[in-house]
Amino acid sequence: MENSLLLPASSMRPHIIATIFRKEITESLRDRLTVIVVLLLPLLVYPLMLIGMSKLRESQELAQEVRPSQIAVWGAAPADLVGWLKRTNALVLENWTGASESLRAEFEAGKFQPPPAAVMERNGEKTAPPDPLMDAARALVSRRKADAVLIVWPGFEKELVRGGLGRISIYFDSVRPASEKAQERLNEELVQFRKDIVQQRERERGLAEGFSRAVEISSRNIAPASRRTGQVLGVLLPFLVIILSATGSVYAAIDLTAGEKDRGTMQTLMCAPLRTGEIVCGKFLAVWIIGLISALANTGSMAATLTRVVAPTGMLNLSPWTYLWTFAMLLPVTFTISAFFLAVAVLARDAKDAGNFLGPALIILMMPLGAAMTPGVELDAWTSFVPLVNIALLIKALFIAEGRPEYVFLTLVSSAIYAMLALLFAARVFGREQVLLGGKDSVRSIFSIERGRDIVPTPGFALTAFAVIFVVMFYGSLMLENASIIKMMLATQYGFFLLPVLALAAGMKFSSRETFSLRPPHWRGVLAAVLMGLSGWAVIGGVAIRLLPPPDSLVRAMEKILLLGDKPAPLWALWVAVGVTPAICEELLFRGLILSGLRRLGKWPAILLSAFLFALAHSSIYRLLPTLLMGVLLGYIVWRTGSILCSMIVHGLNNGLMATLVHSPNLLQRFHLQDTPYLPWHLTIAATVVLILSLLLLRSVPRSGAETHDARPD
Amino acid sequence: MAEVFSAQNLWKRFGNVAAVQGVSLNVHSGEVVGLLGPNGAGKTTTLRMLAGILTPTDGQVLIKGMDMRKHALEAKERIGFLSGDTQVYQRLSPREVLLYFGRLYRMEETRLAQRIEQLVQELEMGAFASRLCRTLSSGEKQRANIARAFVHEPDVLILDEPTSSLDVISGQFIVEAIRRERAAGRAIVLSTHIMSEAEYLCDRIYLVHKGKIVGSGTLAGILAHSGCANLTDAFLHYVEHGKQPAASGV
Repeated sequence: MENSLLLPASSMRPHIIATIFRKEITESLRDRLTVIVVLLLPLLVYPLMLIGMSKLRESQELAQEVRPSQIAVWGAAPADLVGWLKRTNALVLENWTGASESLRAEFEAGKFQPPPAAVMERNGEKTAPPDPLMDAARALVSRRKADAVLIVWPGFEKELVRGGLGRISIYFDSVRPASEKAQERLNEELVQFRKDIVQQRERERGLAEGFSRAVEISSRNIAPASRRTGQVLGVLLPFLVIILSATGSVYAAIDLTAGEKDRGTMQTLMCAPLRTGEIVCGKFLAVWIIGLISALANTGSMAATLTRVVAPTGMLNLSPWTYLWTFAMLLPVTFTISAFFLAVAVLARDAKDAGNFLGPALIILMMPLGAAMTPGVELDAWTSFVPLVNIALLIKALFIAEGRPEYVFLTLVSSAIYAMLALLFAARVFGREQVLLGGKDSVRSIFSIERGRDIVPTPGFALTAFAVIFVVMFYGSLMLENASIIKMMLATQYGFFLLPVLALAAGMKFSSRETFSLRPPHWRGVLAAVLMGLSGWAVIGGVAIRLLPPPDSLVRAMEKILLLGDKPAPLWALWVAVGVTPAICEELLFRGLILSGLRRLGKWPAILLSAFLFALAHSSIYRLLPTLLMGVLLGYIVWRTGSILCSMIVHGLNNGLMATLVHSPNLLQRFHLQDTPYLPWHLTIAATVVLILSLLLLRSVPRSGAETHDARPD
Repeated sequence: MAEVFSAQNLWKRFGNVAAVQGVSLNVHSGEVVGLLGPNGAGKTTTLRMLAGILTPTDGQVLIKGMDMRKHALEAKERIGFLSGDTQVYQRLSPREVLLYFGRLYRMEETRLAQRIEQLVQELEMGAFASRLCRTLSSGEKQRANIARAFVHEPDVLILDEPTSSLDVISGQFIVEAIRRERAAGRAIVLSTHIMSEAEYLCDRIYLVHKGKIVGSGTLAGILAHSGCANLTDAFLHYVEHGKQPAASGV
């Protein structure tokens, strides 16, 4: 062949170049994915992203606008000032919120001085003298107990009355949009208030306009410099670190799936004596570990740069724990992303195809992360369940030294659920023989469900059903948060648990008897259930609450739930709503659909996993251990007796007895429980004896049909 | 000779296309059975079902009386599968490939080490067994692949066009390996579209056309029944005249 590159330009033949170009462009444009990536994706991404982000911004601003600012007022505010500030309903004032008695006494004694009138910035925190007033304000605002603190300095009213200069300060946190909004509103109102007084004085004394000052207003930004730098970096770095860590697992996902098809080695694996799940798990772990190495490299590099370059300037000095947490948060992120990439890559026929698939997948990934960068979007109950966004927001929260444990927990729970869904999807795709052999299989066929094939759910079906029900239930409950407790409870139990469970079982044509263990129990099983129901709560409560004491707010919230509101409902209503209803609805889901679905995993894996899911569904880190232990007891009794009626008895008695105790102060007094946060040891031990008796009784129950059907097929 | 392996009325449909239509066959220990047919006849799909890679739409595969559908893992442990287009892992050496598959087939470590050395010697892989597969020639890779399929000493060998894309010398390694395994009492099913290969390798032959068995028997039997002098003409004869009574033994 002639080496045309060595020929002079004049000997290049344009028609040959044109012919080659025509062929290449024709072939490229006939590849549907190329057209999608080159043309459709840009056409869709920008409108979706920009419209979405501006809508999000608008809704954030609207939410800020609608929401009144919570203002803690420290100092003696005169009635006319309070009336002035309250007239628009945009400011809710609370006196002395968050100020301790000693701080208040020191303040009233005039120990603290107002800052200069200009907005005060504070950079050299380490060298600045201690300021208890600002520290208290900072703690209050960062805990979201107030949006800003209005400090009415001593002598304010007296100064105004005598025509002098009253001093007033706004302490706010510029990192929090709600706090900035509060400062803006307060400042605006105070300026108007001052103007009003000044005009009045000028009128009264016949002075020229602008002669008086009347009120000196100062605003003080209580966000430390590191927090402000953290806000900037906290927006950018989570995005960067997640995307770069994800990129690390892209190549591995392609290489281990489509790459294997390309190299012709996938078939050798398929004819080996392996379960699909084993292949998926092995490959997934490899992809995940590579993603983790990438995450570790990213976090390490980020930590080294911030520590060496940024920290010496005093702009941001994060503790090593922040980096450790950031890396820890990347565990669920890389887990979910690796499973997702693996599933997408295996759909591709070859490595080129996989590249075409995963390019858009990465862009799709970036869009929710972009939303997390929007100012004002914070980690809360709503965002803690949005996949990837929750982690990005959590890393952002860590950078500005926030991150409440309940949201961290919810973020981890939801991330684990999405990761599980992604892995189940990967396993499903791997189960398609056509896909593995490099053929094509429609997306519809991958998601198609063969109804009536199984008499009980498969483990994959049970886990997917749980994940979907849980996410729907979580958001459904949030939407109902303004409804009464009884309405919320009934809607959650019947609407989000029972209805989907029955619909799924009917839709999939599962055997009701096998799926829900609808068998009459042996009388010894019933007796064991009654004993377990009477004692289980006391044993678990007596031990678990000592190990991880719940905060007062949770205890009060639980009491409110158990009593169905602030005022106790009639006892029979409590037993129906808190005892019987969850006993039916939750049992049919967890010990019915889920436990029967997990049965193939074997006795203890099935019981433990169903108990864990039961615990997760209670969405609280403090309730995790007690509900997990109760879930194990409930799972075991169904497994042993083969009857869901037994777990319903245990569950109903457990909830009903707790509601009765909370409802009846007399009972608490009789057992000397009114003054103690924990169940006394003697009661815990007595309950343990009863529980052991119930377990011994269970062992004597003849083996159930369910227990003999736990064989695991290939 | 005992029957080791059989397929009964195998069907495979991909959407509306029936790639395999009611194929039945059996193989005895120490016997080489060939599936002979043109490209697209359904040989590969049939062999993939026999190896447990594809699930039949209908029909049954039995290995030593064990139903593959019900006991997939146990059945697959008894099968070695090799095809002309399967490859070995490019970034592993042949020894590492053999170790990997030996472990997947749950071989005992000492036995596995012995077996690897045995295969390295039998297939003359000593010079390249520790080099990465991506540096090997096609023939060397195919020898590593044969070793991979044979490493767990399966009862049944399923070979899909094993000599395709190989030169004469490399192909000879496969032929020798097949003869050696036959002598060791293994049941072997191989597919080929090369008539001569079927003539000198196979004890019995199934003629496959458009997803169906159109004839079967020993080479001599097929030739005698068709009245043809060679297998190519006999195949065309069977295709033209449909399934013959001689195929009843299928």
